[in-house]
Amino acid sequence: MEIKTEQFTDLAKKELENDRLRTFLKVWFPVLSMKRDLGIATLPDPAAAQAYGAAIREEAMERLPELLEEFEKNALANGAKVFWARDAKEANDYITNLAKERGIKYVTKGKSMVTEETGLNEVLSQNGVEVWETDLGEFIAQQLHRPPFHIVGPAINVPVEEVRDLFLEKINLQEPTLDPVQLGYAARIFLRDKFHHVQMGITGINIAVAETGTIINVENEGNIRFTKASPPTQVSVMSVEKVVATMKDALHMIRLLCRNCTGQKLTAYVSMDSGPKKSGEIDGPEELFIVIVDNGRTKIYQDPIARDVLRCIRCAACLNSCPVYGKIGGYAYGWAYSGPMGQVLDPVLLGLERTQDLYRATTLCGACKSVCPVGIDHPSMFLYYRAKDVLGEPYFMAKRRPRSEERFFKAFAWAVSRPWLWNLAVRMIRPYINKDAREGVISKMKGPFAGWFRTRDLPVMAWITFHERWEKMKENA
Amino acid sequence: MENVSLFIPCTIDLFLPHIGEATVSLLRRVGADPLYHSEQTCCGQPAMNAGYRKEARKAAKHFIEVFGDDEKVVSPSGSCVCMVKYRYPELLEDEPQWRKRAEELALRIYELSQYLVDVLKIEDVGASFAGKVAYHESCHILRGLGVSEQPKKLIKAVKGAQLIPLNAADSCCGFGGEFANQFPDISEAMVKDKAENYLTSGADLLLLCEPGCLLNIGGYLSRNLPGKKVMHLACFLAGNRTEGW
Repeated sequence: MEIKTEQFTDLAKKELENDRLRTFLKVWFPVLSMKRDLGIATLPDPAAAQAYGAAIREEAMERLPELLEEFEKNALANGAKVFWARDAKEANDYITNLAKERGIKYVTKGKSMVTEETGLNEVLSQNGVEVWETDLGEFIAQQLHRPPFHIVGPAINVPVEEVRDLFLEKINLQEPTLDPVQLGYAARIFLRDKFHHVQMGITGINIAVAETGTIINVENEGNIRFTKASPPTQVSVMSVEKVVATMKDALHMIRLLCRNCTGQKLTAYVSMDSGPKKSGEIDGPEELFIVIVDNGRTKIYQDPIARDVLRCIRCAACLNSCPVYGKIGGYAYGWAYSGPMGQVLDPVLLGLERTQDLYRATTLCGACKSVCPVGIDHPSMFLYYRAKDVLGEPYFMAKRRPRSEERFFKAFAWAVSRPWLWNLAVRMIRPYINKDAREGVISKMKGPFAGWFRTRDLPVMAWITFHERWEKMKENA
Repeated sequence: MENVSLFIPCTIDLFLPHIGEATVSLLRRVGADPLYHSEQTCCGQPAMNAGYRKEARKAAKHFIEVFGDDEKVVSPSGSCVCMVKYRYPELLEDEPQWRKRAEELALRIYELSQYLVDVLKIEDVGASFAGKVAYHESCHILRGLGVSEQPKKLIKAVKGAQLIPLNAADSCCGFGGEFANQFPDISEAMVKDKAENYLTSGADLLLLCEPGCLLNIGGYLSRNLPGKKVMHLACFLAGNRTEGW
């Protein structure tokens, strides 16, 4: 998919002008985080459960190279084939070739964020392989040619009228209806036919278990199970960080993932596959390919602080609690990932220069960190990226900040440890700051702080600061 | 008499000095003796948040030099306290002697309401107010310091004041320092929600403990809803309710 992270500010502005979106977010957004809060409250000790999740993912990341090798060994022993893709192109080419070699006309897909990241659908289509997304939301987004709005609910923002019109046009919906059940049924009938004849299915992976070589998917629609079980050839794609050490770890992560994601104790379907169909078994694919995608992650991995972002399990609790996402929705972030998880992941995958706005468009309010089941400290990560950006570190593909800003903070540092200079600077700046003040209030200002005054006033810079008032106060004690 | 050192953040020193004055009179009223080091400048949060760590480190060292030996430090700003408490040790991690001083200071610095309730064990400061008030939970006070009950206890003890619920009280107001200036559209949408929730709450006054949020919410109200007031808890408790925001 096209990467538009540089356009964040413009895209966000556009979204803020969308009345329909604003109303949607206002009504539904608090519901998503409330469901999550209720879900997490069903655990006997939510804080301990979250901390345990963080420990599991921390350990998995500490031992990542070893766990991936163990996973590969066990997956191979189960009869799966494993392909390591260094980047998006290697992953896409490999999967395209699998399809071509088998003369595949079309594939069905379960929702997979990593294939959104690699742009697999476009590559398959260009090579004459039709792609049918089968997650209802992803199906709608695909038919509308839109990127995912939300990592869990990709079309959650699409109004039902638009879905009706789309289905009337594209999938032979018989009667116009706004009943979600009937619309869902129409999509099921349509997709059921695709599943019936499908020769190759492609899905993501929620968790890969090192000790057993098992791949796990959680879902509510059954489309992933269909995609995994119907065709003779199954391809499952994961980014390197999806692995955990043990099945016990995996089960705890499922507990947390479902609750933090949709507030469910467990999703309607959880499938665990250890290899393709074995002799004597009735169901399952004849061949299973597991594609493990790096695409910049082992480079992140080298950095002991940025490494923490790889703990993410894509539950979207951070999106659902983020006050910024709650205003602009998911399109503005400009890529597969949105909200705080995208704001910490995209900068290391795409580089700091292309993602400037992502790690700056945050108030550092910490709502994301407070709900994260794997202990990612998003605000600290944003500060870390900003620091790397200021240093212009090539490793993070950073560009230096504007000279004027650098000069400002140099001067700041000079004055901050010299109180006489600090106070002198205050006295010198004050008349300039206050020059347009009326009745103790500044309502407009040109220059670098103009943004503030678009919607807000500021009190005048005190003609007698606290510093200057203290002498008198001391006497009055 | 309890000696306590005052840390007045630059936002208060420069734009909201009456909050500093209110803090002093409030502390004196409850029997503390606040002292103020005039050498203090800025804690360095703007530099830290902008990514200028070397520059923030300068501010941190100056701060530690100024406050390092004080038994207790109190400030009417949670985000500046968070900066000192959590970011200083991180900033100075490669300089063991400085880091040690930062870590020790971190244990001795308090946000104002936290200091009153947890350290001095005072809830009733002898204030009165006839009307309904709501409380905005600032992000760095709530999620940064874990302080939420303390200001509410202080408010509830004010004679005649009725603390009423505020919808989405713990949602960010959209300040975020440079964020408000760099992304004014998003910030406006956020502060607008806060103002609407304040209006629908039916409160006569919105209270908070954070100068950043005060500048943001106050600035929005001043421009768009001039009749509605937002006030720092220190001013509310000290009875200094007329000057400034």
